[in-house]
Amino acid sequence: MIHLVYRQLVHRPLRTLFMLIAVATTIGAVLVIQGFQIGIYWQLPGLVLNRGGDLIVTQAGITNMIAARSTLPQLTRRQVEAIEGVKIAHPLTAISAIYERNRRKTPIFIIVYDTAGGPRNIIAGTAPKGSRDIVIDRSLARIHGLAMGDPILISEYAFRISGITTDNVAFFAPFAFVTYDGMIDFYMESKVVGDITTFPLLSFLIVELMPGADRKKVAAAIEARVPDADVFAPSILAANDRRLGRAMLGPVFNLITTVSFIIGVLVIGLIMFASVNARRRSFGVLKALGFSTLHLSGSVVFEAAIITLLAFPLGVGLAWAVAAVVDSVAPLYVVMFDDPAALFRTALGCAVFALVGSMIPVRVIAHLEPAIVFRR
Amino acid sequence: MLHWTFKALFARPVYLLASACGVAFALILVIFIEAVFAGESGRIVAYLEQSKADVWVMQRGVSNMHMATSFISDWKVAKIAKVEGVRKATPILYMNASIEIGGRQWFSFVVGMGGGDGRAGPWRVVKGKRQPGRGEVVIPATLARITGLDLGATITLNTKKLKVVGLSEGTFSMANSVTFVHAADLSDIMSAFGMVSYVLVDAEEGVDGRALAARVRDQVASVNAMPLKDFIASDHGLAMQMGVEIINIMSFIGMGLAIVITGFTVYSQTNRRRRELAVAKALGVRNRAVYGSVLLQAVCVVLLGLAIATALALAAAPLIEALVPLVALTIEFEALLKLGALALCIAAVSSLIPARQVLRVDPATAFHS
Repeated sequence: MIHLVYRQLVHRPLRTLFMLIAVATTIGAVLVIQGFQIGIYWQLPGLVLNRGGDLIVTQAGITNMIAARSTLPQLTRRQVEAIEGVKIAHPLTAISAIYERNRRKTPIFIIVYDTAGGPRNIIAGTAPKGSRDIVIDRSLARIHGLAMGDPILISEYAFRISGITTDNVAFFAPFAFVTYDGMIDFYMESKVVGDITTFPLLSFLIVELMPGADRKKVAAAIEARVPDADVFAPSILAANDRRLGRAMLGPVFNLITTVSFIIGVLVIGLIMFASVNARRRSFGVLKALGFSTLHLSGSVVFEAAIITLLAFPLGVGLAWAVAAVVDSVAPLYVVMFDDPAALFRTALGCAVFALVGSMIPVRVIAHLEPAIVFRR
Repeated sequence: MLHWTFKALFARPVYLLASACGVAFALILVIFIEAVFAGESGRIVAYLEQSKADVWVMQRGVSNMHMATSFISDWKVAKIAKVEGVRKATPILYMNASIEIGGRQWFSFVVGMGGGDGRAGPWRVVKGKRQPGRGEVVIPATLARITGLDLGATITLNTKKLKVVGLSEGTFSMANSVTFVHAADLSDIMSAFGMVSYVLVDAEEGVDGRALAARVRDQVASVNAMPLKDFIASDHGLAMQMGVEIINIMSFIGMGLAIVITGFTVYSQTNRRRRELAVAKALGVRNRAVYGSVLLQAVCVVLLGLAIATALALAAAPLIEALVPLVALTIEFEALLKLGALALCIAAVSSLIPARQVLRVDPATAFHS
């Protein structure tokens, strides 16, 4: 059987190459679609986990950092710092805005920080120092053609780009970082703010604990002392953000992934069908020579398995190429095609592709009459 | 040659159908992805569309509702109402929030409405009342179905427990469901006292929305006013901009797949008919004509594939929406036309390799045994 399949594959190398490319493209497409989903989920916890701290204080009832409007009274910081076991509480404010340049709009998430919670993964420049300084993510810079030192106009207030970060994106919105001096000037000088009281001055507190302090006890003490606040371990808040993302985007991505898997099976099936159909005469000859339907069907299944096996690394390579293109043209997204779970799932799916797909032409072989060889 | 082309194409109808199905499966991925984004972005602007306000007024510098924050002092509502041509000015408070419904967090547009006349509220209520009072909420009926809630149930917005008093239809979106609460409740939650977010302006009969928006901008300080059509276009544009890159990349992948499959199909067909091609060439048919024939075959396969993909997508869309109510699918004619044009490009590209085969066919092979 191995020899027969080998002969089939090398007899027409161009056809074999075509089959390989088609199957590899299918595998690549499935990996890229899954990679998008994994990339979006991967980005989500970064907003919380990159802020540091042992505990995060939010407005009571707010269980997320992303897509949430948390407002804490100014006095909360002093109240929290007065609690035993708390070393320091760093203020953090989150502002949602839409940046527009050359008629292109991008929602951005401005993080205002003081002594902690500022930008991480700076790839150019420095953290903001003056009130006009802003650090933006490279995705925003690339989308709008911005560079270090460029002015960036947000709600009619001109910041200056002092630094560029990477991997600071979540929910299709890049993050930008400014200091509290920057925020106050932004609020005061920007003509868009009618009443400063409506804009958040303090959204979250990043709490650092004294060495040896019990995190659970301190969290309980903060919640008891400050009824307007809730307290979370960063990992819990990050998990909440991830859960919200899954709830919002999961159904659609799951649907698209399912469709792509079904398409994968059908495409491989059709390729095998076309391949067998084109070789009806050859199969007729083999049947006339005494090869059983089971034997020939087995060879088709084996051929599909070989093709899929050879196509898998090609598909991974294709997904890698697409991920590189995405990083270049659409930097808001990360295609995590190389996630081990996704690779395993796709490899397993491929085995199903090959098995189910090759079953489609088996029927053709079963109904093939050896007499076909003698027809013109 | 035309006769031969069609004869060759339809000689094996099952094979032709299988080839077209291969192309259809590749294209259906593109149709689905576009339909998902079109459906979702359509739902995102549903509230704006159904508000039917002639002009929307918001904070200066803001031109969106989606992903935006807007605050204007409430005394400006009276000022807007006095602008010539304004019949009615209805303020709303608004924020994006994560709401706990049925033990799960859902991202939602929360609209705080006052007044009592239901203006700016849900446009279709299938159960309960339209105007929530203090401590009450109107949620999308789809969310109630998914979570198993009914009237009288309690949901949590921040720390506030709100009683479900109405279920609205057409307000659910995966990314932005619309939830309606009393303005005073939302004001408490947002600490936005003496503020409104947007003002819905109904114009007097015969008054042009665009001209009225300009008048509001001129006469009321620090606000932006947009006619409804522009505001919808702005929000829809933002939603599509956020998704357009994914659409383009996915479409690119789907098209790549379609090119490979069509190429494989046409290649197989051409390969099968090598002897016939050789005979045709021996009889004096030019390479150009034979290539035209290959191209025509590719076009037929791709167009048939597109038709099958469209039919399958149209048939599957309602089924999918019933099975996965969280997802909205909108198959737009414009998107299909664009895909049709791309499909023709796919046919041209995918016939290149078979064309190379055609050029290499030796007429002498016609006389080989």
